[in-house]
Amino acid sequence: MTRFALRDLIDDRPEDGVFRVSRALFRDEDLFDLEMKHIFEGGWVFIGLSTQAENPYDYFTGFIGRVPIIVSRDGDGVLRCFVNACPHKGVRLIQKLCGNARRHVCPYHSWTFDSAGANKNIKWQKSGCYGTGFDDENHDLAPVAKFGEYRGFLFASLNPDVPSLQDHLGETRKLLDLVVDKSPEGVELVPGRVTFTYAANWKMQLENCSDQYHFTSTHPSYIRILDQRAKEQSEEVVQSSIAASDFWQEGASGTTGGTMSFDHGHVLNWGIMPVSSALPEFERAEQLARDHGEAKRDWMFNMRNLTIFPNLQIAENASSQMRVIRPLAANLTEMQTWCIAPRGESAKARSFRIRQYEDFFNPTGMATPDDTVCYEEAQLGMAEQERPWLQGHARGLTASKEGGNMYADMIDLKPARNVVADAQLCDESLFASYYRAWAQRMAEGLA
Amino acid sequence: MSALSQADAAQLLYREALLLDRLDLEGWLELYTKDCVFWMPAWRDDGTQTEDPDSELSLIYYRGRRNLVDRVQRIRSGFSVASAVMPRVSHMIGNVLVDGAGEGKVRVDSTFIVNVHDVRINRSHAYFGRYEHELKLEDGAWKIARKVIRLMNDRVPTMLDVYGI
Repeated sequence: MTRFALRDLIDDRPEDGVFRVSRALFRDEDLFDLEMKHIFEGGWVFIGLSTQAENPYDYFTGFIGRVPIIVSRDGDGVLRCFVNACPHKGVRLIQKLCGNARRHVCPYHSWTFDSAGANKNIKWQKSGCYGTGFDDENHDLAPVAKFGEYRGFLFASLNPDVPSLQDHLGETRKLLDLVVDKSPEGVELVPGRVTFTYAANWKMQLENCSDQYHFTSTHPSYIRILDQRAKEQSEEVVQSSIAASDFWQEGASGTTGGTMSFDHGHVLNWGIMPVSSALPEFERAEQLARDHGEAKRDWMFNMRNLTIFPNLQIAENASSQMRVIRPLAANLTEMQTWCIAPRGESAKARSFRIRQYEDFFNPTGMATPDDTVCYEEAQLGMAEQERPWLQGHARGLTASKEGGNMYADMIDLKPARNVVADAQLCDESLFASYYRAWAQRMAEGLA
Repeated sequence: MSALSQADAAQLLYREALLLDRLDLEGWLELYTKDCVFWMPAWRDDGTQTEDPDSELSLIYYRGRRNLVDRVQRIRSGFSVASAVMPRVSHMIGNVLVDGAGEGKVRVDSTFIVNVHDVRINRSHAYFGRYEHELKLEDGAWKIARKVIRLMNDRVPTMLDVYGI
């Protein structure tokens, strides 16, 4: 029997104006094991982009929770997803990150599989004196229980008992459309993957992406550089999309953006950014308005941080990033990050996008290290036992409204809840969406 | 003066390492030409690195010392929590090979290990890889016109700044 009661972990009493999360969620190893089982291995997670295995026999490898997987495109062009483990002894079949192969031979005893996962050879099977029990078993690679694609975004679940992918993504499909529709050819990952770890819980990253409140506090050193660069207009330094907008600035007036929450734990925080040459998309601004209408085009230029719970984040702010969160322990997380970009953009726009990306998003840049160091400092503070409740999920509670607003209506988007914000509101009530989805998936493991 | 001996080239690399170890970042900047290239490519997959910084991602890519000045200013600003408690670093450089072809220009290959102690959280690790320096004679002094840092262990623990590579 579990020793955790949900009421001790999440204090969710909207009628009393209370939403609180316990520090235990960030530090407890037993809870972490339950999260692996019920969240990462118990429901839909993001596993990659279809362009990572574009041609017949292309494959890439990764993990769903703790389980190694292969995503493989077979000879007929069908994408499939398997557990990356030979049924014989459980050895990881493919060690490479990505490649192209018609056959996959296990390095241990040479059992062989095709790109569709079918077992093609068991070494010396006839002479193996196997019993009928073995002959009755399926020797193919184990497909994951659920595998689906939405416009190139691939998701899988090890648990068959989940809603359809369409239901899981729900309205956020329209937000993925904003990413994909920037080019008639869709999106791709810029070559070059960047991986880093931080010594803190995965939910620190989950929250930080949707946390407008930290920006001017955590990143003043970066903001000062942007200010200086904007003044000098030197050709040696890259122009900043952030500096060209004011949604984050203390003195900005009126509505600057807001947040939206969706079913199943997905959230968006967004800010108004002008259609300007500070974004590499500008070269297509007119075409995008013709193809999709001005409203949708304007949304493509807005700052948007989208989380598809629990592990995909698409950050379109200083540049465009796709992040995959991979929890390794209660106090250790691996981040896999890529620059995601519209296909077919000009060489100039691509180079501009990459330069904007590196300074802000890389662990070797001028902004992300200040975030990850804060996560680690938070992790130290999570040890506090006497006062378990954090006070970081309370802003915006009285501004949160059911349904959508005029900005959502522009692209026919129907969030479950929303907050329309000025620059200083910096909603935290959207985090409740994460923790309600967390509680839903964890229900079986909690009392 | 237009030729650089193997020993003198190695000296310049050692001096750069010493300036970084002492966190004399202003002194370090002076080693670079104004139009220098400072480049740490990313890895495409298991075995190949990105080659074209304009169409592929780098861990760091700057054209112009001005960008390195920005990096140093951020570190010194007092407004970066990642730079509030400075890590202690120690560079080891080896296998220095000088290709002296070309008047006033020299290419130097070397290997590096940088041991980093992150004082803030009491954690040590090492970064290792290869350097490719291009040295150029400018106003009678040899300066770094281009430095490529090929980082082998690219799963970055939390952060990595210019003094740690």
